[in-house]
Amino acid sequence: MSEIKKVKNLKEFSTSADRFEGANLLCPGCAHSIIVREVLNATNDDLVLSASTGCLEVCTAVYPYTSWDASWIHIGFENGSTAVAGAEAMYKALGNKGRLKQPDRNPKFVSFAGDGASYDIGFQWISGCFERGHNMMHVVLDNEVYANTGGQRSSSTPIGSSATTSPAGRVSYGEKKNKKDMMAIMAAHGSPYVAQVSPNKWKNMVKAIQHGMEVEGPVFINAVSACTTEWKFAPEDTMAIQDLATDTLVFPLYEIIDGTELNITYRPKNVIPVEEYLAAQGRFKHLFKDQYKYLIKEWQERVDAKWDYLQKREEARV
Amino acid sequence: MQNNGWDEFEIGAMLRSFDGVATDIALKQPEDRNYSSSNSFTASVADWRIEKPLFNKDYCIDCQFCWIYCPDMSIIARDKKMVGVDMDHCKGCGICVEVCPTNPKSLLMFPEQADEETELAGWPEKDKGEK
Repeated sequence: MSEIKKVKNLKEFSTSADRFEGANLLCPGCAHSIIVREVLNATNDDLVLSASTGCLEVCTAVYPYTSWDASWIHIGFENGSTAVAGAEAMYKALGNKGRLKQPDRNPKFVSFAGDGASYDIGFQWISGCFERGHNMMHVVLDNEVYANTGGQRSSSTPIGSSATTSPAGRVSYGEKKNKKDMMAIMAAHGSPYVAQVSPNKWKNMVKAIQHGMEVEGPVFINAVSACTTEWKFAPEDTMAIQDLATDTLVFPLYEIIDGTELNITYRPKNVIPVEEYLAAQGRFKHLFKDQYKYLIKEWQERVDAKWDYLQKREEARV
Repeated sequence: MQNNGWDEFEIGAMLRSFDGVATDIALKQPEDRNYSSSNSFTASVADWRIEKPLFNKDYCIDCQFCWIYCPDMSIIARDKKMVGVDMDHCKGCGICVEVCPTNPKSLLMFPEQADEETELAGWPEKDKGEK
């Protein structure tokens, strides 16, 4: 069972049988379940999963229903990662004692969490898991806001975004702090594999997930998840927004191996101005008023600077 | 299944996705699985829809973009072929129609009460692109 599942093309991938079920209560057009499907379909091995509190958890485990066809646990807001880490530690211990009932199964340990449960509330727990070096994967569904509780800002919310606790208006342009660079933080933990992925680039994403499942040690995956409710766009535009996010380089797709080696995994053929990404979402609507237009220029400069930095890091191999 | 009130179930509830022994679920398509009544597969969100996608297989090229980008596991693909839409779990978001690359599209949104046969008969012609 433990060999890597072959995914040559989309037709071959479509023969996978989903282990995440419909009639969950996620909004129509939510990118969360697209990400979850691509992660779960990347392997045929048994899975031990957890979800921290967030949209994904409250929508897929509404009593008396579950949408998960694998072992899945939810405990608290912060400790989804440690729950999986505990299961992994027990699996290792039983394996050392030779007491596993099915030693050849080779299960994969994956925890899902939103950006709130990873960047803010669960940060200490994730840091602990990575420091202890559990053989697990932590997948962040990064929608840049606490969407489950009504759109409060998180430390992943980007500058200029209007959230309920940082609303835009006459005197404020919304969120004033820049997004936390979680990728660099997790790479600094010495993680063997850290990657930023987006579900619209499915092949890139499946490759990253499969690599992450193969390496020994804690793996961090940051998946961009467009939120139709809080980013304020029509549900059918989810994939168009995801495309804009990757092609404007607001979410550059890259990986960091062993905490140092940085590779850019996707280079858009035509880089689109950031303005188009901002214009497509209601949460940035106020930036197009004369008063706040200077912020769009700042956005572009910031994105360009980040892309420059990534390219230099890739070239320098440090 | 007995439906308990909000204060009647035990703290720390466990739900089983399948009845009986379930191994190698990743290799079994839904029709071969023994779903339990607490699996959300047995529930339906069809009443969320105000528009439904209809599938015209005459134009489909089986690219499977709709399958990979469907957030509700509602595109049924078997043996690399697109078979149809699972109307019990489709929420009518319309992503499948947006990502469909054929001309005319092989998936289109129609009002929920639209009749499938009439709509399939009156499917739009190829859009040649106006200059």
